[in-house]
Amino acid sequence: MFVELHQVAAALYLAAGLVAGVGLELPAPRLVRGGVALLAAGALVHGLAFFALHAAVSPPPLTDLPAAVSLTAWIAVVFFLTLLRRARLAGLVVLLGPLAFVGAFYAALRLPHSEHAPFVGSASWPHAHVLLGSAGLALFGLAGLAGLFFLMVNRSLKRKHRAGASRALPLPSLEALDRVNAVAFAAGFPLLTLGLVTGFLWVEHQSGRLWTGTAHETWTAVAWAIYAALAVLRFARHQRGREAAVASLAGFAFLLFAVVGVGLLA
Amino acid sequence: MRVLLVGMNHRTAPVELRERFAVSDPAPLLGKLVGAGEIDEAVLLSTCNRVEVVALTRRLEAARLRLHGFFARELAGDAPLPPGRRLGDLLYEHLDGEAMRHVFRVASSIDSMVVGEPQILRQVKDAYRAALECEACGVVLSRLFQCAFAAAKRVRSETRIAERPVSVARVAVDLAERIFESFADKAALLVGAGEMIEAALEALRGEGLAAVRVANRTEAHARELAARFDASAHGLAELPELLARSDMVLSCIGGDAPLLGADAFREALRERRGRPIFVIDLGVPRNVDPAVNDLDDVYLYDLDDLADAAAANADERRRETVRAEAIVLEEQQRFDGWMSALEAVPTIRHLRARAEAVRRRELERAVPRLGLDEGQRQGVEALTRAIVNKLLHAPLSRLREGADREEGLAHLEAARALFALDDPAAPGAEADAEHQAQGEPGSREPGRREEPGEE
Repeated sequence: MFVELHQVAAALYLAAGLVAGVGLELPAPRLVRGGVALLAAGALVHGLAFFALHAAVSPPPLTDLPAAVSLTAWIAVVFFLTLLRRARLAGLVVLLGPLAFVGAFYAALRLPHSEHAPFVGSASWPHAHVLLGSAGLALFGLAGLAGLFFLMVNRSLKRKHRAGASRALPLPSLEALDRVNAVAFAAGFPLLTLGLVTGFLWVEHQSGRLWTGTAHETWTAVAWAIYAALAVLRFARHQRGREAAVASLAGFAFLLFAVVGVGLLA
Repeated sequence: MRVLLVGMNHRTAPVELRERFAVSDPAPLLGKLVGAGEIDEAVLLSTCNRVEVVALTRRLEAARLRLHGFFARELAGDAPLPPGRRLGDLLYEHLDGEAMRHVFRVASSIDSMVVGEPQILRQVKDAYRAALECEACGVVLSRLFQCAFAAAKRVRSETRIAERPVSVARVAVDLAERIFESFADKAALLVGAGEMIEAALEALRGEGLAAVRVANRTEAHARELAARFDASAHGLAELPELLARSDMVLSCIGGDAPLLGADAFREALRERRGRPIFVIDLGVPRNVDPAVNDLDDVYLYDLDDLADAAAANADERRRETVRAEAIVLEEQQRFDGWMSALEAVPTIRHLRARAEAVRRRELERAVPRLGLDEGQRQGVEALTRAIVNKLLHAPLSRLREGADREEGLAHLEAARALFALDDPAAPGAEADAEHQAQGEPGSREPGRREEPGEE
């Protein structure tokens, strides 16, 4: 059941991105709002998929990569939907929808073939690590998406492109995108930190040592250090606008590589 | 019934002539128009770009003369036209389908000077309401205007005719909305003055701008302008400090060299900790060094940038008129169908009156011979009425259904011939006088009112 629900959620996410994309291109604000509705429906079905997963496998195999990726996509969508009430962000669905689709679709394909190793002792540390880490990754992903969108709008405004200058597109404003970037960053950093800490505690629980020197540990710790530096720039040195957008995009690319890419390469 | 439209607009008459024909209160004039007998219904539309009368008449030539006289005497007044100008050259005339289409196009803002402008629909609704209130508008023109409002609504929702701003001021607001989420906590700095810059400021204020500061070479002028915009007045010496506190800068001040350079903005950005500044430079020559646009977080638009965007949007609106015209045509066909159905009503009524007269006469002849009591008489009455209704049901239905189709006219002619409706010697013809006294449908029915927007 959880596979089918993942498939439906993936389809809804993809449809959300496509409908919003057509809405931005026409431009037709109603279609963009339709994209948001599809994304919300996708999030609902995606949430049900996790319930189904919990019912089928207890405890759910969240430490498997497909489940963790799916969880990250779901948290990003839910966080975005909560932000929607505070700013004109509907246009972001055009990027978020396809990304959420990748997360849900990957899980739909790979989850049936997952063979998760039984946990040593309690499943609390692994689950806390995956939940917190996924939430941190999701929020940094959202910050990166907002950064990417910021760069696109900024470029169109700077170039005074005729269409960019005056089309009545339901695009988010630069100010809203910068704020999303800041909020997602501010919420994502503590979550990532806690994810890292619980990860080390899990390792310590399993092996008796906090640091075992795996590639995943090393690269994730480097990513955390980069984000710590970016957090100082963003909140202590008041970095904002284009610089902050580039930083969040680059930071997320590195984090994605550290958390997912290194594991896949290994 | 013919629909006749006579009027002048921005294409046929310059503003100095149009303003002489403008009407502020149409009610007394409409009263005179429909009271004279040539015109059955009328609506008078007077805006800054047009003065038009839409009339429903059964006497076309008389109505035409009446309307031309109306423009020449009631509207133009006593002052003569400028030499070389004839009223006939200023006026245009549309009849029936063309007149209806014109009303639809005007309400949909296709015929406006600025295609897609939103005010015209309200003005047409006001004109219609005024005609209703003075009972100059009856069933047919009510229906025509209701259909025109429906067409205008469709044009606005189904096309992008009104989507893009076409004034420099609105383009500036549109751009500002791409940068700022809300204007409620934003401050604007006005450097210098000018009609266009004031229009842009008005538009921004309309969106809820929090504060305005005015800087000028002469502080007295700054104070004068500040008083109008509920703003604070400053001299140009304060510009560096004002820049740091302003989210938007609107500049239009004389001078050969740029007044604001990249260094001034760099300094302001440092103090603002990178919060963006939107700069609108309407000065000629330009007041702001174009290199300012290369700075991160400063968005500089000069007059040409805004005018280009406005012109591009106007082109886009014009392209959208093709789709809008298709909608107008569709709605006009719907109205034509209704009008055609209306044409069938006199024949239907005539036929009913004839049949009823025959039924009543035959009943009056038969009842005394049959020696019926009251109850039996009522029974026979009901029976004969039912027979007549059943016999007429099919032909009347065909007449109604075919009214808006091509064969409708043939059906009408066939019905008139088969039932001898034009023969005064035919049975039931004595009812014709009564039928004619009831009047034709489509004539003015003062009691019937439809509000704008009512379907």
